[in-house]
Amino acid sequence: MADRLLGLIGEFGSEETLLEAAKQAKAEGFRCIDAFSPFPVEGMAEVLCLERDHRIGWITIIGGLVGFFGMLAVQLFVNVDYPVEVGGRPLFAWPAFFVVDFEIMILGAVTFAVAGMLIINRLPKLYHPLFGTPRFGLASADRFFLYIDASDPRFDAERTRGFLGSLGAWTVEAVLP
Amino acid sequence: MASRTPVIPLSESFGEITREVARIPLHMPARIPWLIAFILSLALLSLFLASITYLFARGVGIWGLNIPVNWAFAIHLYVWWLGLGHAGTLISAMLLLMGQDWRNSLNRFAEAMTVCAVICAGMEPIIHLGRPWFVYWMFPYPATMGVWPQFRSPLEWDVWAVMTYLIVSILFWYIGLVPDLATVRDRAKRRGWQVFFGIFALGWRGSARHWAVWNKTYRTIAAIAVPLVVSVHSEVSLLFASGQIPGWHSTIFPPYFVLGAAFSGFAMVAMIAIVMRHAFQLGHIVTERHLDVLAKVTLAMGMMTAYGYFFEVFDAYYSGEAREIATVHDRFFGAYAWSYWGAVCCNFLPLQLLWFDRVRRSPVLLFLISTSVVVGMWLERYMILVTSLYKDFLPSSFGYYHASFWDWSTYIGMLGLFLTPFLLFVRFLPSISIFEDKEVLAREQEEAARG
Repeated sequence: MADRLLGLIGEFGSEETLLEAAKQAKAEGFRCIDAFSPFPVEGMAEVLCLERDHRIGWITIIGGLVGFFGMLAVQLFVNVDYPVEVGGRPLFAWPAFFVVDFEIMILGAVTFAVAGMLIINRLPKLYHPLFGTPRFGLASADRFFLYIDASDPRFDAERTRGFLGSLGAWTVEAVLP
Repeated sequence: MASRTPVIPLSESFGEITREVARIPLHMPARIPWLIAFILSLALLSLFLASITYLFARGVGIWGLNIPVNWAFAIHLYVWWLGLGHAGTLISAMLLLMGQDWRNSLNRFAEAMTVCAVICAGMEPIIHLGRPWFVYWMFPYPATMGVWPQFRSPLEWDVWAVMTYLIVSILFWYIGLVPDLATVRDRAKRRGWQVFFGIFALGWRGSARHWAVWNKTYRTIAAIAVPLVVSVHSEVSLLFASGQIPGWHSTIFPPYFVLGAAFSGFAMVAMIAIVMRHAFQLGHIVTERHLDVLAKVTLAMGMMTAYGYFFEVFDAYYSGEAREIATVHDRFFGAYAWSYWGAVCCNFLPLQLLWFDRVRRSPVLLFLISTSVVVGMWLERYMILVTSLYKDFLPSSFGYYHASFWDWSTYIGMLGLFLTPFLLFVRFLPSISIFEDKEVLAREQEEAARG
């Protein structure tokens, strides 16, 4: 049984106790930890060192640039391919082109951001071993969970279970594949 | 907000909020009223389908359109629907970035309202095309004819603006919905529900890593959505302002249209909030405080729209153009003066009651005032189109417009196109943001603990 263990998950009653537990686990030297909560807990990103992740910002900027220059290229090409001259006005009507360009820049930025979020988070992933633990469903209601992965160098089934208990976890459950 | 009364009562708990909202899709509390509303909206939808079937068979001549008034119901309703939609995005995105906690009880259904209203708005110009089956000509595809769309035309801008707005609204709404779909998935007992919510929740687990990335994405989209709203409705106003028709050719139009849109939209959100609060007994989550704030925002938007009215008239006189001034006179005293004064009265007279605290907190009065605003903005959009078109530069091309039966049936039927998806949303999805309300409650509890 123990060799198939994926990790241990401790249940907490409030976001403060979860945040405190995550800090303690980090201080204890655990690396492969994750927290689960019904809403984003303020300060958790800092504890898990996630706040420096700026990938979404870059992906959004790239999406916006793709949309902007892509649409601009379309509009320029269309006017070269089939020129419609109106009273000798310039073929490239920059102020007019900018309207559609702006909209498509936004469309590009938003679709890239959403796609980037799903890819970084590896979603959709309809099944995950955590769903097999009986109490985990409460993570979307009013309970807070701290997960310690078995691949962590400091992980030891018995001692880690005791450690989670010492942090004040109400229950500690084994996550099995 | 100056007052420190909590948005969500401190007596609530995370579990309580989850139960209160998740029960709506899983154990519909108001089954019979919902069914009645749904049957009614299906009847309206059938009226719409019948109207557009006849329209497609016979052409736009079945409406009261003519030359000079060749833009009427379809276009004025396009502006009206789109305007209603804008409040959803503003509540969701702008107030999120400004850290206004009260938005968290309203944003979900306001966004759903946006999506439904934008679908209706997008339909209008399409059915107004003489040959709607050629709508794809608006897109730059390598046609055998060798021609391309005209990107200098505001009519072409429309397609891209509405398409972008629809896609961004749906994405923003859905991304915000995913964590709540997971909550309902975990509460669902029946297999069918579990599969339905399971698939659409994408396997959301509430991991801190996911939340961190999600949070950044959600806020980024919100920051982008605010200028999008302004650009979309400004672009719509350019349909009018970039032409030379008297009464349209004015630089006040973009802000005037955006503010009018937000004005009608906030009134619409207040109406929906009041109905939902009453139908599903959500008084703890959509509190009097919410109605109060919504009323204040509506009042502020209304006063800014009134400024637009004032400056439209000032602009015309200041320009000294004879035809511009004549159009203002036509609006005041002409054949369609009822639409001008109707708009002024419905928009701004009952609105003044919102200066009083008691009125703002009374659901019935707020509902009536909001209805008056939505009707007033309807009249305003009608007024802007018809009073400008029926008399322009050449007396030989003066003419009158009368809405036909099919104008009305298409419009009334389209209310079904709005209500049907909205009612399905209310029935099958968490219509109030569960996790964002918990976030507010967590913040409030922390503040209360600190004292």
